[in-house]
Amino acid sequence: MKILVTGATGFLGGAVVERLLALGERDLRVTARTGARRDRIEAAAARHPDARVEYLPTNLAVPRETAGAVKDVDLVYHLAASMRGAPADMFLNTVVATKHLMESLAGTPAVRLVLCSSFGVYGVAGLPRGSVVDESTPLEPHPERRDVYSQAKLRQERLCRELASKQGTPLVVLRPGVIYGEGGSALSSRVGLNLFGVFLSLGGRNLLPLSYVENCAEAIVRAGQAPTAIGQTYNVHDDDLPTCRAFLAEYRKQVDPLRTIPVPFPVLRLLSRGVEAYHQWSKGQLPAVFTPYKVAALWGGNRFDNRKVKALGWRQLVPTEEGMRRTFAWLRAKAS
Amino acid sequence: MALKVVLVGCGKIADGHIEEIQKMPKRAQVVAVCDRELLMAEQIATRYGVPAYYDDVDRMLAVERPHVVHISTPPGSHVALARAAFQAGCHVFVEKPLALNSVEAAALVADAERFGKKMTIGYTYLFDPVAVQMRELLASGAIGDVVHVDSWFGYNLAGPFGSALLGDANHWVHALPGKLFHNNIDHLLNKLIDFIDDDQPEIQARAWRQRAQTFGDSRDDMPDELRICVHGKRVSAYGTFSSHVKPAAHFVRVYGSKSIMHVDYVSRTVTLDHGATLPSAIGRLVPAFEQAMQYLKQGGRNAAAFARADFHFFSGLNRLAAMFYDSIAEGGPLPISTRDMLRISRWMDQIFGLIGTGGRR
Repeated sequence: MKILVTGATGFLGGAVVERLLALGERDLRVTARTGARRDRIEAAAARHPDARVEYLPTNLAVPRETAGAVKDVDLVYHLAASMRGAPADMFLNTVVATKHLMESLAGTPAVRLVLCSSFGVYGVAGLPRGSVVDESTPLEPHPERRDVYSQAKLRQERLCRELASKQGTPLVVLRPGVIYGEGGSALSSRVGLNLFGVFLSLGGRNLLPLSYVENCAEAIVRAGQAPTAIGQTYNVHDDDLPTCRAFLAEYRKQVDPLRTIPVPFPVLRLLSRGVEAYHQWSKGQLPAVFTPYKVAALWGGNRFDNRKVKALGWRQLVPTEEGMRRTFAWLRAKAS
Repeated sequence: MALKVVLVGCGKIADGHIEEIQKMPKRAQVVAVCDRELLMAEQIATRYGVPAYYDDVDRMLAVERPHVVHISTPPGSHVALARAAFQAGCHVFVEKPLALNSVEAAALVADAERFGKKMTIGYTYLFDPVAVQMRELLASGAIGDVVHVDSWFGYNLAGPFGSALLGDANHWVHALPGKLFHNNIDHLLNKLIDFIDDDQPEIQARAWRQRAQTFGDSRDDMPDELRICVHGKRVSAYGTFSSHVKPAAHFVRVYGSKSIMHVDYVSRTVTLDHGATLPSAIGRLVPAFEQAMQYLKQGGRNAAAFARADFHFFSGLNRLAAMFYDSIAEGGPLPISTRDMLRISRWMDQIFGLIGTGGRR
């Protein structure tokens, strides 16, 4: 079986490629933008000399390149997305790229597409504190009030579903929480934000929906293999979730003793009203980093449920304690 | 009555246009956006609450019947889109560069005249607060007669646009005659038009590629450093486009017969260097304090602007758009003359001819 992995040089993409090879897949085509670092892919391929790992530099925003990438594949793991940059670029490289990929699959209804979406698509701003977020939680009703990443992922997922339904592409959607691990970023915005050299601890006692990168890759790979997964959506996060405060405390102990200021949720909400009011009065002179809506969505505090992905056969390969230890060791080494 | 504005081309700079237009609802309102990729039009319409979006310009013009069309597409499409807009009875605000070359630029200007419509171009820095302050000082005779101008435009290849074009061998910038420079040196050259009135001054230019990164494709042909020397009849000028000097500075120095003016577009400061006006060691001691006082005053001026919410990144674009709309509504002169647009287009042709294609390391 020939498998395509888009975004293969990314943090999660590399882990998915490694997991596929570890599970015995031997014919992979991996794509990333020209110029992307591919040492991790090459190292993974070198560990499995009997496997064919074809690297194809591809810009998914260009339809003819996308058509070449899907040629003769039996399964697609679509991980490519834009994490940052100008809003237009994020939509182009996330949403338009996905449209091209889906359209390239239009003539091959047997090819399954596994889409890596995000927790960011859920409409949690209106939920009471402590509500459980699972696959039945409603999607964001006001994307324009969220950050651009969430907007783009929401539109990507909706588009994927529309086209899959129209052209008969078997689709599986995964929505990971906060993916972390060696090679990833240090602290999720759910934990807090760095402001002029001081870290504002915003997550407090909220549960942090961590997904260690290997565990996340395992879920994604399973979703491509299980016959029952087609047409389903799965939330992906680990079992033993720490609070944001506990995660930050470990980070400070093991990586960097950041200067932090804890901001209680009611204070944050009040602050966000001021930020939004100033943003509107000043016609955008400073960005609306905090708005009451964003604050409620990101720091409102939810509980999480991963029973559905477990029912698929997923198991947490790396315990959270070990995942954090590895991640913090890598971050410490990187900092030094 | 507010002008009905539509925008074609929903890439990065489109955000700036819409944000600034939406700050002047009595003058103009964005009623629709268009991009040949409907998803791109949809995303910007969603983010800014624009009522309609299209992937067909002709249909948008027919349905919306706008007064003004903002064109923020790659330059190869400017002539055709502007012509469609003029034919539909619209005025046009086109992003820089005006066109692929001066022949196309002249055709565009001719179209505007033929249809009796107004056109302006996104030379936004000419309308930045510091540019306005600079003109006031020049008019007051603060620096005497201008002898020479030094225009510097730093570029960050690691920024959003630089990353996009280095990440894509098929990016439209690589197909422009002047590649990266073609999309940027309007901002370098348009600061000279206040000082060099010649239609065709003598120009020398040299360009090269300084970055080490290679891709083995068209991106390697893109030079990233440019130096130009312009000799007008009365005033000379140097121009520098640099992708490697850090920080990416953006300034103009105007050298006069009495003093030197430094106009910094990044720190938004305008300062004058009068040299030593007192004798001996005192003459060397005082200027630093005099400069410090000027920066302090400029900082205070900026702080005051910030306090009254008048310190936005796209201040120049806002001022230019407002002047253009007023020119349409009141029949006044254009904020930028078509002669100046064409002069810059010709200078660019000449520069790209001198540097050729490709660069050297």
